[in-house]
Amino acid sequence: MGVKNVELPEIGEGVNEGELVGWLVQPGDTIEVDQPVVELMTDKATVEVPSTVAGKVKDLKFSEGDTIEVGQTIITVEEGAGGEEQAEASSKEDKQESSSNQSQQQAPQQQAPQNQQQEAPRPMAASGSQSGGGMETINPPVAAENVLATPSTRRLARESNVDINNVKGTGLAGRVTREDVLAASSGAGAVAAGAPTTAQQSKSSTPTWTPPQNFTTGGEERVPLKGIRKKIAENMQMAKRVVPHFTLMDEANVTKLIEMRQELKPQAEKMGVKITYLPFVMKALMATVREFPKFNGMIDDAAQEIVYKKYFNVGFAADTPNGLLVPVIKNADQKTIYQLSQEIVDLATRARDGKLALDEMKGATFTITNIGSVGGTYATPIINHPEVAIFGMYKIQERPIIKEGELDVASFMNFTVTCDHRLIDGAEAARFLAAFIARIESPGRLMMDMI
Amino acid sequence: MSQFDVCVIGSGPGGYVAAIRCAQLGLKTAVVEREKLGGVCLNIGCIPSKAMIGAAHTLHRMQHDAAEMGLEFKGDVKVNMKKLKDWKQSVCDRMSGGVEGLLKGNGVDIIAGEAEFASPNELNVKGSDSTKSVKAKNFIVATGSRPIEIPGFEFDEKTVMSSTGALALEKIPKSLIVIGGGYIGLEIGSYLSKLGTEVDILEAQDALLAGVVEKDVAQVVSRKLKKDGIKVHLKAFAKSYKKSGNQVEVTAEVDGSSKKFKADKILVTVGRKPNSDQLGIKEIGLELDDRGFVKTDAQRRTNVSHIYAIGDITCQPMLAHKASHEGVMVAEVIAGKNRAYDVKTVPAVMFTDPEIASAGMLESEARDKGYTDLKISKFPFGANGKAVSMMETDGFVKMIADGKTNVLLGCHIVGPEASNLISEAALAIEMGATLEDIALTIHPHPTLGETMMEAAEATLGHAIHIVQKKR
Repeated sequence: MGVKNVELPEIGEGVNEGELVGWLVQPGDTIEVDQPVVELMTDKATVEVPSTVAGKVKDLKFSEGDTIEVGQTIITVEEGAGGEEQAEASSKEDKQESSSNQSQQQAPQQQAPQNQQQEAPRPMAASGSQSGGGMETINPPVAAENVLATPSTRRLARESNVDINNVKGTGLAGRVTREDVLAASSGAGAVAAGAPTTAQQSKSSTPTWTPPQNFTTGGEERVPLKGIRKKIAENMQMAKRVVPHFTLMDEANVTKLIEMRQELKPQAEKMGVKITYLPFVMKALMATVREFPKFNGMIDDAAQEIVYKKYFNVGFAADTPNGLLVPVIKNADQKTIYQLSQEIVDLATRARDGKLALDEMKGATFTITNIGSVGGTYATPIINHPEVAIFGMYKIQERPIIKEGELDVASFMNFTVTCDHRLIDGAEAARFLAAFIARIESPGRLMMDMI
Repeated sequence: MSQFDVCVIGSGPGGYVAAIRCAQLGLKTAVVEREKLGGVCLNIGCIPSKAMIGAAHTLHRMQHDAAEMGLEFKGDVKVNMKKLKDWKQSVCDRMSGGVEGLLKGNGVDIIAGEAEFASPNELNVKGSDSTKSVKAKNFIVATGSRPIEIPGFEFDEKTVMSSTGALALEKIPKSLIVIGGGYIGLEIGSYLSKLGTEVDILEAQDALLAGVVEKDVAQVVSRKLKKDGIKVHLKAFAKSYKKSGNQVEVTAEVDGSSKKFKADKILVTVGRKPNSDQLGIKEIGLELDDRGFVKTDAQRRTNVSHIYAIGDITCQPMLAHKASHEGVMVAEVIAGKNRAYDVKTVPAVMFTDPEIASAGMLESEARDKGYTDLKISKFPFGANGKAVSMMETDGFVKMIADGKTNVLLGCHIVGPEASNLISEAALAIEMGATLEDIALTIHPHPTLGETMMEAAEATLGHAIHIVQKKR
């Protein structure tokens, strides 16, 4: 009997603290040993921290949003009548991986379409394509007549890719200031779309800013951006800000690949392995990345150095009930298609079940997104910074082709490679994609590269 | 065959400015011009007309104001039209020469000749003795506009003149009929009147400059026209003319009844139309709107993505300074910068007597845009020391502001140097300035500029130099 402290155990390699996302218990609750009591967000994942003690919860020592360091007391528990002696240290080391059911790893995300024009490298446009294109939507849109902002502020907004029509002005008479634009640009001052800041709408001539009124008939719900979601948001924002992205798209005739897989499938099933297209793509990619080492590199921003990695760890996006996870296959270049298949199935299953260890989501040097299995013809994914490329594969579609003068049917798969333009130029990306397609179109070639 | 990053067609205030900025941004640039560098503006438009207006204004003041100031001349002041024309031409030549120097100094290739698109990527330029092919990755169409002809009054530039013919006159006509009382007709009619021509203006609408400027602004100019002996006929439609001796006789329907007007010459100034029927614009598939303007987006990109269009050929208002602004913007777009045409106002100036200038909205426009609570007031030049000492006291500065925020929405000036005063209002509108911002800015004394500060104060209800009743 007596009051025991429950301290924050070690929650992962190199993880010293976490942000409190939410309590899973309240004072007065009776809890068991190993029962999760609090949800913490680390920079790797959100984890549920189990109690080391059974009994009645007395005090919660922190509030939502607080940062808790390893070893600090998180709750106090009055030990129950059972008086079960539970060594505090006993569960410090085990069962942690079971609680890492979410990850903030940068997974491919569809970017907002309105960013695309800004993203497209203008030099291409300047070369003057002759397509009947033209008359594109201007992004961001031109400031409406009633938007108050100086010409230089309007230009800053344009150059920062901020739609000034959606920025709430904090200046006199609703004027959008330079600071408002900079805040919106960094995401801090984001404003509900469709909340125009017009001279007419100012209710008085007082220069104070009033929060926007809730004028949608259905109302709106406001939820704090926190935890995993916040981390994802920050990482995505950072990747988009740091990395000048561009995406190259192409298609490959995968008729032979399909035949090969069909041929190998029964054999693999005998060995208890479900074989998908991903390991083939991975294998062809590894061979291609070896040929183009930049794609496995990174930029060390602080040191201003390019790092060429001599190991090949491939992350692949897994869609799970808890959100996107990116498990990593270590040394993928040294594994057979069988081994890759087994690992993919294993990692994907455990990702879905929330059973991945933190280590299994770290250390990728290159990432593949297989969003095509969900839908979409093409995507422009966001690079998992500090990696410099992300590879996309999309659904297979049958299409008519002309083969030796005859109408024929072939299966095509779309592929994209999204690159960090600081390191990789368009032509290199094009050569990379062409080299990959050459391999995937003649899967027999994979044998040549095989280790 | 030459290959450029950018080929600008037309060297008017849109084209030459675009070419210079392109060159500044490191683009290999050419500009094609079929006539003189500087286009209509420098050669047969803005600049020569200002020279003529300046001379006529000086003459008018010598004849009318000088005596009251105590200045006496021996005999009459005479106009030497040949000398005046030479001087006007020297002004144009100097400006055009300046443009040439700037283009060359920035490394822009100047190609003389008439351009026509052979394809969307290639231009044939027919020079005086040979045809040259010019290829470019981007084109900027800046070929401007020309005066509209009306049936029955085809330009011969001798009897029936456009502004071009009027500016090239060798002799001052004894009498002139101006068809179209827009600002170009008023400017030319006014200076010729001052140089000694009897002027009749036939205007189709029921008021001069209706819908273009504020009513009270137009009234100031109307009164002055009347005082100076220019006869303005409203609701007047010219039907036909015939020669009668050395003169012409114009038949017009004025307010429902047929009238005849006799004069030496006819000036037709009923507007300008875009030169989109030239250059092979339609042949290469550039889309036009129903008024013949080349359709562009906010970056002035046409439906053919490497061809841009700027200036009069794109949209109203057909004003040189709008074209120049677009020229700079398009050059930067081509150089890869994110730019768009997002100005809040294109100020307009009319060199009537007195001058008219405006920026921002008319009162009616502000109301149409949903501003129900407006503050409107004006300050007269008669209460400004500088204007009085110049003996130019006609007119006022009028300001229109949002009553809730005091943000300046429009400024309309009629009076001395209105054209030079309006830039402050344009800046205020672009900056989103309030009446207080203008009123609290110290304006130097004694200047015409003080009227801006006082007009802002007046609109706030407390101008110093006029007595305002408490609201």
